Amino acid sequence: MELQITIFGQLTDITGSSNIRIPAVSNTDELLAALKQQYPALGTAKFVVAVNKKIIQGNTALAANSSIALLPPFSGG
Amino acid sequence: MENLQAVDMKERKPKQIFVQGAISPAFIADSIQKHSTRHDIGGHSIFLGQVRADTIEEKPVAAIEYTTYEEMALEKMLEIREAIFSKYDLTCMHVYHSLGKVAAGEICLFVFTSSKHRRMAIDACTELVEKIKFELPVWGKELFEDESYQWKENK
Repeated sequence: MELQITIFGQLTDITGSSNIRIPAVSNTDELLAALKQQYPALGTAKFVVAVNKKIIQGNTALAANSSIALLPPFSGG
Repeated sequence: MENLQAVDMKERKPKQIFVQGAISPAFIADSIQKHSTRHDIGGHSIFLGQVRADTIEEKPVAAIEYTTYEEMALEKMLEIREAIFSKYDLTCMHVYHSLGKVAAGEICLFVFTSSKHRRMAIDACTELVEKIKFELPVWGKELFEDESYQWKENK
């Protein structure tokens, strides 16, 4: 089982791809720990996590079908 | 009752705001023209965002390439739209944002509010632009002539 994560903006410079997969974890704290291990530069990058298109506040449970995205600071307009 | 619900459902549906490439002045002119049949409107307020050729380490920005998390952005825009409509007495509101490459000097954001009186239209437009800049998941990549780039930051 794997989770699929969509990466946006400058974070794609770190991951090298806009879609990454990691072995399944059960919540966003575990997800962030796993991601930072795999991509150490994420440790100092500014971003928020969106689960099912909502920015999360605090640790959030993940399911296999959760849509997960890493969003760096917005810079539209 | 069923009909009413159907109407509500329809209005809740996110509206597309993204256009590929620059927003043309002709499109903006057309959009203004379309409001001539609305005789309850007394004032429009329009904000146009233009790609600025900032110079960074002696290299001018040639274009900005925009990307978005579209599904989330359109849901967020619906929330913003509803918040603005409930706060201001507007006749209508239109938002268009570019995706992909927009060259320096071209229009990348078009925000258009209309109301009976100027104050509502102006205030709503100002608040709408701020919300779009800070709440919509859109990213700008500033491209230089030599193919190098840097990621835009909103101030």
